Amino acid sequence: MANANCPECEGVIELADGSFVAGEIIDCPDCGVELEITSVQPLTLELAPEEEEDWGE
Amino acid sequence: MQISNDAEACEFLQELVAIPSLSGNEAAAAECFVREMTMYGSEANIDAAGNAVARFGTGQRQLVLLGHIDTVPGEVPVRREGSRLYGRGAVDAKGPLAAMAMAAARCGAREGWQVVVAGATEEEAATSRGARYLATQLAPEYCIIGEPSGWNRITLGYKGRLLLHYRLEQPSGHSAGQQTNAVEEAVRFWNHLQSWCEGYNAGTEGRFAAIDPALQRINSDSDGLCDSVTIQISLRLPPEAPLEALRSQIDSWRGDACIDESGKEEAVVEEKRSPLTAAFLGAIRSEGARPAFVFKTGTSDMNVVAPVWRCPIVAYGPGDSALDHTPDEHIDLDEYLASIRVLQAVIERLTTAI
Repeated sequence: MANANCPECEGVIELADGSFVAGEIIDCPDCGVELEITSVQPLTLELAPEEEEDWGE
Repeated sequence: MQISNDAEACEFLQELVAIPSLSGNEAAAAECFVREMTMYGSEANIDAAGNAVARFGTGQRQLVLLGHIDTVPGEVPVRREGSRLYGRGAVDAKGPLAAMAMAAARCGAREGWQVVVAGATEEEAATSRGARYLATQLAPEYCIIGEPSGWNRITLGYKGRLLLHYRLEQPSGHSAGQQTNAVEEAVRFWNHLQSWCEGYNAGTEGRFAAIDPALQRINSDSDGLCDSVTIQISLRLPPEAPLEALRSQIDSWRGDACIDESGKEEAVVEEKRSPLTAAFLGAIRSEGARPAFVFKTGTSDMNVVAPVWRCPIVAYGPGDSALDHTPDEHIDLDEYLASIRVLQAVIERLTTAI
């Protein structure tokens, strides 16, 4: 089992080994914020990328 | 087979940009693309819709990188200034197309996969001829649309579109008379539409959720007996736009005018939790950047193929889309090269995963 803290609420997030990949987006079970798994070994979490709007095409 | 280095990748893009390729006249640029991609080891050809298509590998699983090879009109002299490459299409969208092509060339054939890079025709026309044809020919597991998002951003959605063609003819009247003339009727219709959209948009947040009307053309004429007016309106539509309610309103405003519709495209919004987006997030971070998602208020070939292929799909490519269609269109070659590295990592990850 790997674990890390939510960068928003500092709640502990536990994920089963092998059940996640870098770049995956998950929800914090405590505060509900979207998180991106930025590293698998060690498990590292950051707030998921922001959503922007843009003119285009 | 040859693996492109950075200098060759820049030369490839510059060569492509230097060949004019207005919508409907893409043959010379397509031939250049096919010639170069053959040199880089792909099976390349021009298909029945004029698309330039390069295929790496013969596996059963398809990864499609779909760009477009046509541009809007307007000559921008091709030149390099420092790390900038100027030219029509440098951003929209030969930069993204060339980046996808060079990344695929660097990856080569991937076991079990066929990686297809296509430069579609007529994306800049409402026809989207090339993408409509490819939608019937390919069945990808993943698709990347080549459009400028900026090298560290991933486009997850495009708005939809609907064109309205209003035409009114009525007997001529004296301008001192009481009768509302045809032009005034058309303006009244436009004002109704604009006002309704403003009311709808007041309850929404952001431009992506709004209905944006644009008055594109207005023409009036008279032969002394009959006055006529035509207007063309573009509506940029959010997901789940209340089109039936709007059509009902339009019917109540149009009076004696005829209104036709064309160019309808549904808005498309992609799920951000997919193996495709995960691959991009990881690849962008490995280049030391913080990724972002973006929703575009325009349309692209993603609107055409996403409802058909129903696979994970995003749009990605180097360049600032604020420069699309402008006299200042240019791309930063360092950004272009970074996007090739990102795309290479994405292709490798997607075609490695079980």
